[in-house]
Amino acid sequence: MGRFIIKILAVAAVVGLVFVPVNQFVSVSHDYNINHAILNFKNNPRPVDIINVGASHSMYGYNFKSTGLEHLDLALPAQTIEYDYKLLKEYGEHLKDDGVVLVSLSQITFGSTETKFIGNYYEILDREDIDPYNVFDYYSYLYLPGANTASFLSAVAGKFKEFRWDDHKPWVDNGDAYAERKSKRVEAEYAAAVEANTISENMRYLKKIIEYCEERDYTVVLTIEPVHESYAAYFSEDDMERLVFQHLDALDFDVPLLDYMNDERFASSREYFIDGDHLNKTGRKVYSEIVYEDLKEMGYLHRPESIPVGRK
Amino acid sequence: MSFISIEFLLFVAGIVTIYYFIPHRFRWALLLLAGYLFYASLSVQFLPLLLASTAVTYVTGIVIEKQQTKQRKKYVMFAGISVLLFFMGWFKYFNFVNESLRNVADFLGLSYNVPYQDLVLPLAISFYTFQAVSYLADIYFGKQKPERHYGYFSVYFAFFPQLVAGPIERARKLIPQFKVEQKYDYDNITYGMKRIAWGIFKKTLIADRLAPIVSSVYDSPNATGSEIVVATILFSIQLFADFSAVSDIAIGCARLFGIKLTENFKQPHFAVSIADFWNRWHITLSNWLRDYIFIPLCKGKKKRGEIYFAIIITFLVSGIWHGAAWTFVLWGLIHGFYRVFGDATKHVREQIATTVGISKRPTIHTWWKIAVTFLLVCYSRVFFRSNSVAEAFENARLFLTPTSWNPVGILETFQLFSLIDFVLFAFFFVVFQVFQYMERKHRCTWNWLSQLPVFSRFAFYSFVVLSIVVYGVSENGFIYGGF
Repeated sequence: MGRFIIKILAVAAVVGLVFVPVNQFVSVSHDYNINHAILNFKNNPRPVDIINVGASHSMYGYNFKSTGLEHLDLALPAQTIEYDYKLLKEYGEHLKDDGVVLVSLSQITFGSTETKFIGNYYEILDREDIDPYNVFDYYSYLYLPGANTASFLSAVAGKFKEFRWDDHKPWVDNGDAYAERKSKRVEAEYAAAVEANTISENMRYLKKIIEYCEERDYTVVLTIEPVHESYAAYFSEDDMERLVFQHLDALDFDVPLLDYMNDERFASSREYFIDGDHLNKTGRKVYSEIVYEDLKEMGYLHRPESIPVGRK
Repeated sequence: MSFISIEFLLFVAGIVTIYYFIPHRFRWALLLLAGYLFYASLSVQFLPLLLASTAVTYVTGIVIEKQQTKQRKKYVMFAGISVLLFFMGWFKYFNFVNESLRNVADFLGLSYNVPYQDLVLPLAISFYTFQAVSYLADIYFGKQKPERHYGYFSVYFAFFPQLVAGPIERARKLIPQFKVEQKYDYDNITYGMKRIAWGIFKKTLIADRLAPIVSSVYDSPNATGSEIVVATILFSIQLFADFSAVSDIAIGCARLFGIKLTENFKQPHFAVSIADFWNRWHITLSNWLRDYIFIPLCKGKKKRGEIYFAIIITFLVSGIWHGAAWTFVLWGLIHGFYRVFGDATKHVREQIATTVGISKRPTIHTWWKIAVTFLLVCYSRVFFRSNSVAEAFENARLFLTPTSWNPVGILETFQLFSLIDFVLFAFFFVVFQVFQYMERKHRCTWNWLSQLPVFSRFAFYSFVVLSIVVYGVSENGFIYGGF
């Protein structure tokens, strides 16, 4: 028995020693700390003028620093609308009386139900809001991130950004390959959501967000962020009607929608994008300033003027 | 509580520890409790069905033995088997038969009003039903005495390592092992742990890494021919890694209790013929089908045509056992056809090999046969994996289209992986193949490993554990867990 325990301990020790640097590598990676801004906010909350929720389009979409607005970005990669609602419920109280909630919609908003990176929420939401919650996953994610393969591979991918097939690089064929692959993924996800009948669940959460904001007199604006023309080419008006607008129309909200998807100021300007559907630092700044001006024009953020309703 | 979870490993560790600390006379109760707890954690609503099947089989076994005549024994055996097959048939095949009859009625313009039933397949029912049938048949054939101790008998039905996905064991092999007092044995414990670790390695580093790639092609409405070819080959690798992993874990867990289960795989993708393949793939099911379907069907038959008919029926049963869908029926029939065709053309093929001269080069000849067998198996798996019969035929057509095998198209298809995922998969696949190669050379790699210097051995064990911890992905259940 003693011999057996010594052998087990020997293997465990070697694994542990090799694992320490792996764990360290992941724990300091960008993707593992993607929620750091929300976490900082949680530790040092302050009143904010504007909150945005949504998935990666929204996360890469907004930076209101140049406008002087206090901004809380609650968007995270592949975030479902369920978690938009949960985060808003958790942090919405910090919105100023005349603040605005930007709810980002995209082609995957109604088709996406599976939370791919549940670990992102362990530190920024209450446990009862996390579903599914598994105690082993929780502690291993927090203290042994190197054991989380998705986090490890994200960290590796972040370090070796050029280590991709040529066809997987964002601007090959002027972004066409990327857009084609992504549109296939969107369609597959949407088809799965139709089959699993989960679209109504996302509609319910969007309704909850709107009701939550109405109950607290928060101003809520729906937005669709700009994309490059190579990406937009794969999503025709009919596609957008099927993926997004038919569900939005069915909900019949009295809420303004700012739709910048095919905005000419961005559509052909590759310098504003990381890839076909995500803005880069420059694009983010330009876009946020445009949104700020449009919100002001709509009478929000201290400027009471007429409020246009409907698609811009 | 999945096999691939910390909870399961802690559960096993706890049960094993208690097992060796309590007297032998209480161990059956511990194993039974563990079996029911494990089953309840996965599918509590069907625990009563498991208990009912156990009771029916136990009583039927004793009643068979008490009958005076062979004829009466047969009636009782068939009555018991009918009840067991009714349980399985109701849950597994009712809607399949119902829908098929509805389609036939529609085709003939007849009225058919039996409604669809919202049925869920009870976990492991195919596996424990086949074990029960073999038990009753063995009593009838005089190969097995009915077990009088209800506790031991129930453990045979609910032994948690092999409950969910086999191996399908015979009572005469398993029950005596439960009855023998198993002493704590260092070699059993270490061997069991190694098999469990290797099973988790195959599942998390190969099978589950391939699963999303295969699904992305087979669930796509407009997959290309090259994608179908690559996805089908990858599915074959996934299926083997997945199913052999669950067998490894089952065999490893059982060995921790001193119980030896039957090996279910012998490197099936290195089979040199379809007959050889079925001697290497899901061996316990193949043996079951041979003993309880094929041999009884062949009894008194001498004509080649009658034997071939028995082969076709046996593979048809195999297909139906795998799932309630016409795709599985077709898959079974294809293997039946392969088997019959292989047997009927054996001499012709040998003559061709001699004429061409390939039989003078046994290594090349063997690898040629391995490649052909593997591709035939892959082709049949197009039907196994497709979501419907229409899709299966379309995918099969694409698989057989020469342009689908264009090397450029095939290489491009690997871009379904991200480059990092591809490198990782390729690396672990090579490790897996090296292990299999050593297995072919040394018969048992684990024994060979245990004779290596301590540094090499521990480096390998550490590598396996660390790979699982860092690179392992597991988001899916076992494929055969769904049968």
